[in-house]
Amino acid sequence: MLTYFKLAWRNIWRNRRRTLITVSAIVFAVIAAVFMQSMNRGSHEMMLDNMVRFSTGYVQLQDYRYDDESSLDNSFYYDSSVRDRVLDADPNIDMILPRIETFMLAANGAATRGSILLGIDPEKEHRFNELENRLSKGRFIERDDAAVMLGEGLAERLQLTVGDTLVLIGRGRFGMSASGLYEIAGIVEFPIRDLNNQVVLLPLPEAQYLLSADDYITSLLIAPRSDRHTGSVAQSLNEAFADEELVAYTWAELLPELLELFEFDLAVPRLLTVVLYIVIGFGFFGTILTMTLERLREFGVLLSVGMKRGKLALVVFLETLFISIIGVLTGVVASWLIIYYFHRNPVELTGDAAQAVVDMGWDPILPMSFAADQFYTQGFFVFAIAMIVFLFPLLKIVKLNILEAARS
Amino acid sequence: MALVRTENLSKVYNPDTVPVHALRDVSVTIEPGEFTSIVGPSGSGKTTLLNMIGGLDKPSSGKVFINGTDITGMKDSKLIDFRLRNIGFVFQHYNLIPVFTARENISFIMLLQNRDKKEMLSRADELLDKVGLGDRKDARPKEMSGGQQQRVAVARALASEPKFILADEPTANLDSSSAMNLLDIMSRMNKEQNVTFVFSTHDQRVIDRARRVITMVDGAVDSDERRENGNDNEKE
Ligand SMILES: Nc1ncnc2c1ncn2[C@@H]1O[C@H](COP(=O)(O)OP(=O)(O)OP(=O)(O)O)[C@@H](O)[C@H]1O
Ligand SMILES: [Mg+2]
Repeated sequence: MLTYFKLAWRNIWRNRRRTLITVSAIVFAVIAAVFMQSMNRGSHEMMLDNMVRFSTGYVQLQDYRYDDESSLDNSFYYDSSVRDRVLDADPNIDMILPRIETFMLAANGAATRGSILLGIDPEKEHRFNELENRLSKGRFIERDDAAVMLGEGLAERLQLTVGDTLVLIGRGRFGMSASGLYEIAGIVEFPIRDLNNQVVLLPLPEAQYLLSADDYITSLLIAPRSDRHTGSVAQSLNEAFADEELVAYTWAELLPELLELFEFDLAVPRLLTVVLYIVIGFGFFGTILTMTLERLREFGVLLSVGMKRGKLALVVFLETLFISIIGVLTGVVASWLIIYYFHRNPVELTGDAAQAVVDMGWDPILPMSFAADQFYTQGFFVFAIAMIVFLFPLLKIVKLNILEAARS
Repeated sequence: MALVRTENLSKVYNPDTVPVHALRDVSVTIEPGEFTSIVGPSGSGKTTLLNMIGGLDKPSSGKVFINGTDITGMKDSKLIDFRLRNIGFVFQHYNLIPVFTARENISFIMLLQNRDKKEMLSRADELLDKVGLGDRKDARPKEMSGGQQQRVAVARALASEPKFILADEPTANLDSSSAMNLLDIMSRMNKEQNVTFVFSTHDQRVIDRARRVITMVDGAVDSDERRENGNDNEKE
């Protein structure tokens, strides 16, 4: 057995150029496959990341009725003892952000728009999603302010700017009427279009006061230490609050439509990936075809001196296995480095493309996913393609006519 | 019993299009210990005959017996094994495994026979000494001259302890001193160890050294001449 390994190993280095061509074909195939995957997933990850950070949080604690009817009537009592119980529920909880959210009319005296009032703890929000960096005008509100920040889109629609006064009209908890006048402290540019066009941010205590909902919140956003703890944190919370009317949801449970949309959005990239695999397969086939034809004579000699076809096939199989492993490992490392670079330094979009992306509410960059699984899944796929294509020389060996081979 | 016997051996290439009668009714017998040369003009069927005897190709009609065994109808996988056990091959273009050293090339054949590893290495060394390459054991084929490679090929053919060795124009690619040197080695093995050789050649000096000369013309045996002293003009 060792001799066959030795034979195969030396064979692949006998014709260095040929081996390097095959290895680089595999390396480029892996890079191309990972790159494509990374681009496809990059924009989705960015969208999801924005949604999670600005909208849902990783895990959200709600009243169990809130999911069906998102009204203030289904808000829940939240004080420091609830906070402590949440923090005690799981050691992997990093941060919690109470929010109160409801629909209100926002007006400037002449025009009126529907808006989402979000009562937040500004400082905590900033720690969670760097909200202050999104401030495009004015100042960032503080916890005891009685001033608002507006999404940029909403401000434009209402033709309001920093220093103007915003009128909020709506309903508080249990049908209490709620209305107030607030100075606009700042304008915030949200990376999600819906938020950008609708959100009014008010410090939590002021919002609770306005909505006659002192000590009540509609949702508690929970950030685990790492996103891989999302599921377990939600589970701990559901266990800890099993006897109360509170339920913890993960972001995936809160955003099913978005995930479905992504699935749908992936149809075309998937097709392109299949096309890429076919191109890769044919590329390998071309290389392996010339390689095999060049070596028919050698195969013929080995068979005529008494090497069994099975043994010869084993040697050739080992050769292709070595080459594929070298190629795939190199490809994975190379693509890891390349993607790492582009993940850290995303390509900045310019011109129309940039404008189109900005209009969607996103940053004008080409985000690349750095998810670990794409390296090994794409590496595995390319490896599988290589091994399938490399069956060709084995077939050839099984069918080889010794004399014809020795003559070639 | 005859070592090799062919019975009305015929071979027609392309029977359906442009038939080429490469062999016509060839019946020859080779006894153990012979040093036989097959000669004849180009295209007369020498290679075809050697291929049939070596079980590398199937005849159109007729039979080939090796040590009494009919190999004509043998299955491919059985034939490979049979060749490995009974026949040694030396080809015109050396055909060593390029990535193996001289010693590894020789022991590889024994490995295919599942021999004991120690025995393999000592026998490889012994054979290399015999063909005068005791100092080139670790050389790879491309580091050796054509004559040296061909001597390794002879040693390799002997390694499997075959009943006989078939060599198709073993000297055709060698300069004349290498050719004579190879022939010296072959004839010494023939005399000292009674190894049977059947080889084809165009080279008159090689023909002169044979003890039996079978001349082919147009696919048939034209003459079959035994010369008792043919092997004895070895100069040393
Ligand atoms: N595969 C083949 N297909 C068709 N014809 C063949 C084939 N192999 C050999 N022949 C023909 O059979 C005849 C005998 O060929 P063979 O190779 O046995 O001759 P040879 O005596 O070895 O010649 P040389 O001295 O040139 O090696 C020739 O006419 C050759 O063209
Ligand atoms: Mg010939």
